Amino acid sequence: MEAKPSSTSSSKFVDQLVVPGDVILDLSSMANQTIKLGGGLRQDGDSISVMKAGTLRFTKPNKYWVESSHKRYVPSAGDNVLGVVVDTKPENFLVDIKGPALAFLPVLAFEGGTRRNIPKFEVGTLLYVRVVNANTGMNPELSCMDASGKAAEYGVLKEGYMFESSTGLSRMLLSSPPYPVLEALGKKLSFEIAVGINGRFWVNASQSSTVILVGNAIQKSESLSMVQQKIYIEKLLKSIQ
Amino acid sequence: MEYVSPEGLRLDGRRPMEMRQLRAEIGAVSGADGSAIFEMGNTKVIAAVYGPREVQHRSQLNNDKALIRCEYTMANFSTGDRTRKPKGDRRSTEISLVIRQTMEACILTHLMPRSQIDIFVQVLQADGGTRSACINAATLALADAGIPMRDLVTSCSSGYLNSTPLLDLNYVEDSAGGPDVTVGILPKLDKVTLLQMDAKLPMDIFENVMQLATEGCKAVANYIREVLIQNTKQLENRHADQLSLSLFRKLLLYGFCSWRIIKFLEKDVEEET
Repeated sequence: MEAKPSSTSSSKFVDQLVVPGDVILDLSSMANQTIKLGGGLRQDGDSISVMKAGTLRFTKPNKYWVESSHKRYVPSAGDNVLGVVVDTKPENFLVDIKGPALAFLPVLAFEGGTRRNIPKFEVGTLLYVRVVNANTGMNPELSCMDASGKAAEYGVLKEGYMFESSTGLSRMLLSSPPYPVLEALGKKLSFEIAVGINGRFWVNASQSSTVILVGNAIQKSESLSMVQQKIYIEKLLKSIQ
Repeated sequence: MEYVSPEGLRLDGRRPMEMRQLRAEIGAVSGADGSAIFEMGNTKVIAAVYGPREVQHRSQLNNDKALIRCEYTMANFSTGDRTRKPKGDRRSTEISLVIRQTMEACILTHLMPRSQIDIFVQVLQADGGTRSACINAATLALADAGIPMRDLVTSCSSGYLNSTPLLDLNYVEDSAGGPDVTVGILPKLDKVTLLQMDAKLPMDIFENVMQLATEGCKAVANYIREVLIQNTKQLENRHADQLSLSLFRKLLLYGFCSWRIIKFLEKDVEEET
């Protein structure tokens, strides 16, 4: 990427791997400009420095963030996640979403939810939920409705099995164009999958052998390169015929 | 005893300003959120990080910053003669405290209020400089866990024996009774977060010895940086070839559609077979 003399682009570091402590921008040399910082970056006086290891990304006109893959999830509003019910309180369900704190799912945050019909969830129930609020200093708030108050696809995920992944893998599973492994599996097998951006995915199929196969294939594909993935999936699909 | 030979070589064949070989590995403990193994010569340390997670004891909950806990242990088999009761002695407690304070200085605790981060370090092989090795391992583990940090903290020790400043003391040199200066720095910010010495040294010599340790820290920092970049690269390889960047950017701009149920009709499968 070529840097224009007047542009805000810190082309030296964009799309490069960065580690905590790296200074990517010096604000003193760029007066009267606005930049927006995403995850993994912070302002320290007159410089912008990195606080997580990953790849620095930049979009025009002025957005910077660090893209990384971890086992933990940092809640942010609007994310769709898979949560596990940990406890039930009169007002809220306490849900584990792999974040720094348990998330609250208000008992009324369901389509047509009233005091009369409060859903009953046992501890360990898997839910597909949306993060509504994620402010520091308070527990994240979840909802089982979309913005217009419809149940949409949110709610309990019955049967099937939940697998753990990294946040990076989750992001790839949700990427467009579709994740090649998922596409290849989908051509041969029939299954249902729900991916939470918090590093969890759930698979369901009529046969439990399919669930295991799909789950393992996706988990294993994370450590393979694209060519390796192709070979792996071809072999796998041949072996089940 | 002669710790530096007339030819200028130390007991293990190193030059006075030479470090031992470094080796690091990220992701050694699958169950932990972040983990690393760090080796400095024969000293080998494993670190595991859990969190940020819910605070276990309500009384320790802090409303404006994360609670950091650190536990340092030495494996029974880590030293020459097998120890009976390694846990809970004063040395371990002190080192746990030192590591905790050093890591607290670099973690941005205010970003994760009401949560707790646990750091467990265990010495697998002890050959001097376990304190430094533990701090280096903990840094790597924290970076692996994705915990926001000001900078990478790195640590290295140096000593003064036979009127020579020595870098990165091993066990024999450490137990010679001379001064042992352990320094921890934030390399990019150029700040000292840890400085320990348990002996007396004239001021001018101390400055030299500390300078040497600081140089050692910087060398460790370069290595740790390299290891982290390699690790990220491995994860990134797939991103790079699977995700065309432009598309990813568009996605981010229009907001993630992070939910997709793909239900392939069995009819489709039948048609294909």
